[in-house]
Amino acid sequence: MRKFWCAFFVFWPIVAIIYSIVASMTPSLGWWFPGASVTELGQRIDNLFYLILYIVTAVFIGTQIALVYVLWRASHSKDERAWFSHGSHSLEVIWSVVPSVILLFLALYQMDVWALFRVQAYFPKEARDAPIAEVTARQFEWRIRYPAPGKKLQLKPQPDDLYDVNDLHAPINRAVMIQLRSGDVQHSFFLPHLRVKQDAIPGQIIPIWFKAEKQGIFELTCAELCGWGHYKMRAQLTSEREVEYEAYLKKLQADQNYDGHATPSAVAKKDE
Amino acid sequence: MIARVWQLLVVVLAGAVAGCAEDASKMRFAQNAAIANPVHRKARAVVEKTLEEHFGTPLDSVAWLKLPVNYGKAEGKVKSVDGRSVIVDFNAETSDLESLKSPELSRAGLLFTSGANQGESFLLASYDPSEKSFETLLPLKTAPAEGDQFVVAGQNLRHGRKLYARHCQHCHGINGDGDGTTAKYLNPRPRDYRLGIFKFTSTNKDTKASHDDLKRILSYGIPGTYMPSFVPMLKDNELAVIVEYIRWLAMRGELEVQLLKDLKNDYAADRARKEAKESKASTSEIENQIAKQLEEYVANPTEGLAAFIETVTGDMVSAWEGAETADTVIMPPVPRVPDTVASRERGKALFVKTDGGKCINCHGPTGRGNGFQTEDFQKNDAAGGFYEKRGLHDAWDQPIKPRDLTRGIYRGGRRPIDIYRRISQGIKGTPMPPVAATVKPEQIWDLVNYVLSVPFESVPRKAAKAHSVAGQPSEHGNAN
Ligand SMILES: [Cu+2]
Repeated sequence: MRKFWCAFFVFWPIVAIIYSIVASMTPSLGWWFPGASVTELGQRIDNLFYLILYIVTAVFIGTQIALVYVLWRASHSKDERAWFSHGSHSLEVIWSVVPSVILLFLALYQMDVWALFRVQAYFPKEARDAPIAEVTARQFEWRIRYPAPGKKLQLKPQPDDLYDVNDLHAPINRAVMIQLRSGDVQHSFFLPHLRVKQDAIPGQIIPIWFKAEKQGIFELTCAELCGWGHYKMRAQLTSEREVEYEAYLKKLQADQNYDGHATPSAVAKKDE
Repeated sequence: MIARVWQLLVVVLAGAVAGCAEDASKMRFAQNAAIANPVHRKARAVVEKTLEEHFGTPLDSVAWLKLPVNYGKAEGKVKSVDGRSVIVDFNAETSDLESLKSPELSRAGLLFTSGANQGESFLLASYDPSEKSFETLLPLKTAPAEGDQFVVAGQNLRHGRKLYARHCQHCHGINGDGDGTTAKYLNPRPRDYRLGIFKFTSTNKDTKASHDDLKRILSYGIPGTYMPSFVPMLKDNELAVIVEYIRWLAMRGELEVQLLKDLKNDYAADRARKEAKESKASTSEIENQIAKQLEEYVANPTEGLAAFIETVTGDMVSAWEGAETADTVIMPPVPRVPDTVASRERGKALFVKTDGGKCINCHGPTGRGNGFQTEDFQKNDAAGGFYEKRGLHDAWDQPIKPRDLTRGIYRGGRRPIDIYRRISQGIKGTPMPPVAATVKPEQIWDLVNYVLSVPFESVPRKAAKAHSVAGQPSEHGNAN
């Protein structure tokens, strides 16, 4: 029975390590973490994540080896008595100081990424100066308000503002900021490919910025269970070239001013 | 390995749950209680049976080919006939054969497009994919000949029903009565389709909502209500089949209302009691008489139930088909009048004129939706007399508030053409009247320009304070 426990505790860490190696070496299996972020900041966030993962892996392997060593030794000798370390001052100092140093290192090491991600004063200036849209989460959709082309987004709605729903557009390779609000309960604005996640809180306007470096359509979902229709809050971010972005706003403007006579650039782009 | 175990476990659990829900296959549409209550129960049973025949049940729906619903179809021709079994060949190019393998085909509709049975539609009792043969629910009067062509329809209805059940039913209800499980928490209430009325349409005041109108609502949602946008979650073809299912539910509800209202004249719920009081006959005698009379009504081929259904569905079909034709869509005859201060002022003058557009009566002098009509007792045209509660009511007898135009929330869309259509043709099922008959198109544009400017009008300080009861400044968000 002692041998069994020894084998049991050696088996699982080995399975975990083999799984991790296979999964990380062959991403085609889809067992590992999602692919690289499409923003530089996202990659830095990933790097922090991986750093923690490496530390945790080293600690995991170390503790498992120690555990198995103890079990193995005890299973071989019935005469040897256990050594009770309780009250050992030097041991306590070691296991307090070593993790503290690691945690302190992580806390300091991540500060600039955190500031860039969350603290408005550290946002890129071009993003801070000209938010491109106001996104209002509500049960169960994302309502988006853009300023008219060439104008700045105002806190209060303006007569020439442009509106869309569930379809956020942003130019690539430009740091852009959006103002996040909630129309009812708490939601969470989540762009998994960009590693952006921010709660939308009723009564608050929360700035978020990102700089997509890849063209494409990325998922925008709600990451906070906000009611029975939570799953319906599936929108998209279209990251496109500057010209396409401008064309999109122009089209939105034409649609919004449609009076039945002006050529509707697309009477309803969603009816295509 | 672990995944496999989980799969097995899930299958076992699902089986256990399915075991409990055995009666789901017998699930029925509930009757429109508000309209059915004053009708005799025997007549109500007739209505229920008729509807089930033509529309089936929620889980076993019938594609009634008479209705202008795009059920999705597969075409084929007869190969041979063996007793009641008809052996067929589907034209693979035009059909969605994969879905025809489903046993659910048993309740699809079949229409002969050539041969002796041309123009006749039948319900299928069974379809055997291996033999490629089907039997109709009722025996065919004339046996079809080899080469007779037919259409089988129903895939869209089934697909639409599944999507409706997943995304719409919890608010709009199994019956499309706007009374799903979450409906009671919502204000405004979800739409009850059964009157066949939808508020925000591009069509004229006498016409139904078009397929595209409903699809637009699904795509953009209705700001200020709980109706969200379903794009990009749902794809275009998914929206289309949901719309068809909703139209089908609306037509079903409409036919039900018409049948019940008609039968109420002769078969009121209290008829037996009333007549027993007036005559010497006992209630049970009169009950028997009612049963007999109903039987005759159902059986009479020329003046009975069948003829009534024929007339009513005929009108319904042309009303719904009409919505799909271009000439019912409201297009302003003149382009938008330039949005100038002068135009807005003309619009405002019209807005507050009590013998003109009469907007002020409901929307109030500053467009806050506080006109005097909201404080008045209103006539109930359907039931006669007045509503008990003060204020305006809609066709569903729900209290309704005129839009507060200062908030800049436009449920039916914020494009100038949307507002033009609302003013010109009114909003169906609500007290918002069409003004096209008395107000010229240019004047309607003036009104549009004014209405769109209301949220940005500078309100005198005092007035603003008086209205701050609502608490919030005019920002978009969740209105009531
Ligand atoms: Cu949410």
